[in-house]
Amino acid sequence: MSKVYRSREGTVTAVDTKTQLTTVGSETAPGPLLVPAGAKSLSAVLAAFGADCAVAADGAYLIRLEGPGLPEGPETIAIGASGSGVATGGCMNVPSERFPLDIPVTPANEILVFAECVGEDTGSITIGATLEFTV
Amino acid sequence: MSRTLTVEGDINAVDTRVNLTAQGSVTAPSLVVPSGMTKIRSIYTTFAADNLADDGAVVLLVRLGGAAVMNGESVLVCGGLGGQLPQAGSDVAPSIGSPFKLEDLDIEVRASDTISISAEIAGVDPGDTTAAVTVVYA
Repeated sequence: MSKVYRSREGTVTAVDTKTQLTTVGSETAPGPLLVPAGAKSLSAVLAAFGADCAVAADGAYLIRLEGPGLPEGPETIAIGASGSGVATGGCMNVPSERFPLDIPVTPANEILVFAECVGEDTGSITIGATLEFTV
Repeated sequence: MSRTLTVEGDINAVDTRVNLTAQGSVTAPSLVVPSGMTKIRSIYTTFAADNLADDGAVVLLVRLGGAAVMNGESVLVCGGLGGQLPQAGSDVAPSIGSPFKLEDLDIEVRASDTISISAEIAGVDPGDTTAAVTVVYA
C-alpha cells in the first residue's frame, strides 16, 4: 500500500469568505484535483498557513473539501489560528500539521479545495493543503 | 534499514521552483536512490525567512519527483510563514522554523534512479528564504 499526494494553495484576504485554492506555486493552472486511480480513501490532509500579521485581530482558518470525488459529501477541517496585538512587526513560522482522516473517495473524480478565515479579519493569509490518498 | 538524503537551498522569489541540490559544505550530494530502498518512508523539512519584505505570507511546497519516484510527482505543503516589517528603530523577534516531520509518507521509489527534490514558496514574498529537506528511504 502506498500513498499519493496532491496539493493546492491560495491566499485568503477576507473573513467568512470561501476561497477556492486553485494554484500550486509556479503551476498557475494545474487543472482539477482528481482522485488518483485506485485510491481507496482520503487518509489525511496536510495543511499550513502563513499570515502577514498586518491587522491587530484574531482568526481561525478552515479547509473545506467538496465535489464529486467525495461520495459522502463535503468535509470541513479547522487547521489553525493566529492573532496579533499590534499591526507592526509581527511574524510567524509554523510547520504543516497532518490531520488523519479515513474518507471514502471516488477515483477519477474531482475534489474542490477551499480555505476560509473565520472570526476576525487577520489580513492576508496564504493557505495550502495537501490531500493524502492511500492507493 | 533506512538511509537519508538531505538537500537545501535558497528560495528568493515566490512561485519559482528551486531544485535543492546542495548540502552545505557538500555541494553535490548523490541524488541516486540507494540500492535496496523501495520507498520514501519519512520526510523532514524546515524553512525560515528574513522577513525583510513587508506583508509576506507564504506556504512552503516541496516537490518529490524524478525518475526514481513512481506514481508521478508528489507535492507537499510543509509549512507557512509571514510577517510585517518592524517599525523603524524597533527590534523584532526572530522567526524560528520548527521542523515539519511526516512519518509513513510511503511514496514508492525505484533504487538506482535519481530523485529530484525541489521547493518553492507560494503566496506573498516574505524576503529571502532558506529551506532544507531530509527524506528517509526504507
